Amino acid sequence: MNLSEKSKQHVDSCRFCWMCHHICPIGNATGQERNTARARALGISLVNRGAIDLAEIMDNIYECGGCSACVHDCTTGWDPVMFTKETRLQAALEGKLPEYIGKMVDNCLEFGNAYGKTELCEKLTDAIAKHSAKTDTLLYLGVDARYMACKQAVKAIEVLEKAGIDFTVLADEAPSGAQLDFLIGAADEAKQQMTAAAAVMDDYKTVVIYDPTDAKVIKQLYKTYGIDVKANAVTYTAFLADLVKNGQLKGANSGKTVVYQDPFQLARNLEETEEARQVISAFADLHEMLLNRGETVWAGNILMAQYMPEVIKKVSERRLFNVKSIGEKAIVTACVSEYVALKNVAQDDVEVLSIEDLILG
Amino acid sequence: MQIQMNDFLFSMILTELEDAVGVENCSTRQIDKVTHSVDYYWLSRMWADRGRRMPEADIVVCPKDAKEVSKVVKIANYYKLPVTTWGAGGGTQGGAIPVCGGIILDTKRMNQIYEVNTEGMYIECGTGAIYKHIEWAANEVGKATMHYPSSLTCSTVGGFLAHRGIGVCSTKYGKIDDMVLQMEVVLPNGDIIYTSPAPKHAAGPDLNQIFIGSEGTLGIITKAQIRIFDQPEERRFRGFLFQDMTGAFKASRELLQKFKPSVMRLYDEAETSSLIKKIVGVERKGAFMNIAIEGCKEMVEVEEKILLDTFAKYGAEDLGSEYGEKWWEEKITFFYPGHMMDIPQMFGTMDTIAPYGKIEEIYWAMKEAIETNFPQAKFIAHFSHWYEWGAMVYDRFIVEGKDVPQDPVEALRLHQAIWTCGVRAALAHGGVVNDHHGVGIKLGRLMKEQYGPAMQVFEGLKKQLDPNGIMNPFKLGL
Repeated sequence: MNLSEKSKQHVDSCRFCWMCHHICPIGNATGQERNTARARALGISLVNRGAIDLAEIMDNIYECGGCSACVHDCTTGWDPVMFTKETRLQAALEGKLPEYIGKMVDNCLEFGNAYGKTELCEKLTDAIAKHSAKTDTLLYLGVDARYMACKQAVKAIEVLEKAGIDFTVLADEAPSGAQLDFLIGAADEAKQQMTAAAAVMDDYKTVVIYDPTDAKVIKQLYKTYGIDVKANAVTYTAFLADLVKNGQLKGANSGKTVVYQDPFQLARNLEETEEARQVISAFADLHEMLLNRGETVWAGNILMAQYMPEVIKKVSERRLFNVKSIGEKAIVTACVSEYVALKNVAQDDVEVLSIEDLILG
Repeated sequence: MQIQMNDFLFSMILTELEDAVGVENCSTRQIDKVTHSVDYYWLSRMWADRGRRMPEADIVVCPKDAKEVSKVVKIANYYKLPVTTWGAGGGTQGGAIPVCGGIILDTKRMNQIYEVNTEGMYIECGTGAIYKHIEWAANEVGKATMHYPSSLTCSTVGGFLAHRGIGVCSTKYGKIDDMVLQMEVVLPNGDIIYTSPAPKHAAGPDLNQIFIGSEGTLGIITKAQIRIFDQPEERRFRGFLFQDMTGAFKASRELLQKFKPSVMRLYDEAETSSLIKKIVGVERKGAFMNIAIEGCKEMVEVEEKILLDTFAKYGAEDLGSEYGEKWWEEKITFFYPGHMMDIPQMFGTMDTIAPYGKIEEIYWAMKEAIETNFPQAKFIAHFSHWYEWGAMVYDRFIVEGKDVPQDPVEALRLHQAIWTCGVRAALAHGGVVNDHHGVGIKLGRLMKEQYGPAMQVFEGLKKQLDPNGIMNPFKLGL
């Protein structure tokens, strides 16, 4: 396997280190030793030394959600997500992707989304149609919202309408490349998608990115790959926080007590933690979970639920347990993918809300 | 008697285990076998580093509770298959390595937190819970476990119990064996038992202490009630520099007759000028000592005065609170790659314990034994767990560069020889095989040298409880 020297160094540092053993949301949910950064590094190091075959470890390589909890936890700066993504890329180049991953990659290339979806729901189609005219502001919804959570996508539009914003939503939105980046890392195909999406965004002064998964890629990864976005790219939560601050988005505090699920992409990758709190606090009483902000625990997503649904359910259930263990009854998410994952397992004892749900009431 | 395994019989046994714990919790996948074959033991790491495969289990099972564990050990006993219990694999003594193959029983699905009891001041949890998770559960209600080893995030409750672990606040709050109220244990025959409802009693010998430290050789601890404490109102640090360790021992012994600090750490000159200089920033010659005092504010005030007065009598230079606070912040940083020794270095921690009057002698004896017999080895040490009657020494050897044989068997031989030499020096001067990392496969051969005829007590327990010898074979010298 042709890993970079940097990745090899990180692999060799992590393979015998147990310090982040407690932090992986997937490992904690499954209880499986292989779902740890050190196990993944050990597997890769043994492949590098010819002791096992790459194909033997690939399922495990795709059991990482890339949430960076291990990276954040490491005081010496080792990065298991980096070498995991690079291993995915190498497997793709060597034709050793698991079949279920290969299918999703094909879908991304053919349909622009890993799910192979081609149709939006009727309500979303109608909502988008109302905002088809060109403006200075683009609301970028992302594939998860458009194809897998269209009600939330509609609500995202309605919140901006409520604030009186003049904005555009594209009927045919170019994929950000986030899914391909997750599936096969820094492949040329992913960079091509990113470049194409950036070109579309350049037609606008401001791009409001609804999904933190896209926000992380557009605001952080594009720069790494030298892809320039001329528009002012802002997260949906930061955009809403400004609207609340300048009085365009008015709310009355309902008195409901909620906790906030920090999306790792915002909290860890983009270091944005307070904007959503400002919005939530305008509409509800915000309490905190023990593990919040940069310490947040990923609560699952839609993409991985396609190939490991039972594990993602456990991941989501554990996060809801954190809510219940401090006696709280409602959790607000700012990530559509986590919203869907949490909603999928929520019982009557915890209410799962999106920020849009909270604002629209 | 070990059965003769063949594909047919193996498949039959596998289906029985799948029936016991569920198909999804029973694995023969290579990735699962490989990741359960290398723990924190230097030899297993070296073996993997050289591209060799360590001994692997045939089947990895992950039961969810004592009932499922019971089913697994019954099956294993019937077919006479070895069962090696695996927590999180953070052990340094090879205790979790399945040296005879068979079954790895991974406890991490038994990670439930059943009860946080703020009246009885304990958390009842499955022993597969990572210790940091029960610390979080305690923190959520304003309490703390006060068990903070460097492996806090790497190890399960069961792992700490299995090898009698210890944390940095041990002087005030105790070792893991002081932290337990009651335990649920699955015996090798599948019976599920409970130790006494309270840890202090006169109802015969202490069942807790029979299983704590038994490293999975006598049974599998599946549930435990772990003590929690109020968060201290105040925690203060004080760093000191002693010109020599003798003064530090006298000062500490006297201090401990008056009160118990939480943290007490004395570093020898070699460690002060290396690790402490690098991480805490003390750039002075001498032996650095860090003390933490905690509890009610009024008590801390009084204890701090006693500390300063006592240590001044023995010529300790007061370095103030800064280094101690830095040490507390970085107490786990010492163990991250880049700070901690790692392959390609060869290293080991030969911690031992003895009463005052012997412990300093042991330090010098071990240092001389290692440095004389293995001049290629560097020897550093600190003294990190203290009692009214004695202290432990955490001494380490490090071999670097070309002095580390590339041939894995040669490296194994050198590693074994250094360990045998160091531990025998400790035993000869009144120490023990190990203080808080356990015995495992690494030190089993030396248990008889420490215990002599007393070893028959352990052997008798083993024979009675595990007549087929399936439970973690060749560990603890059993």
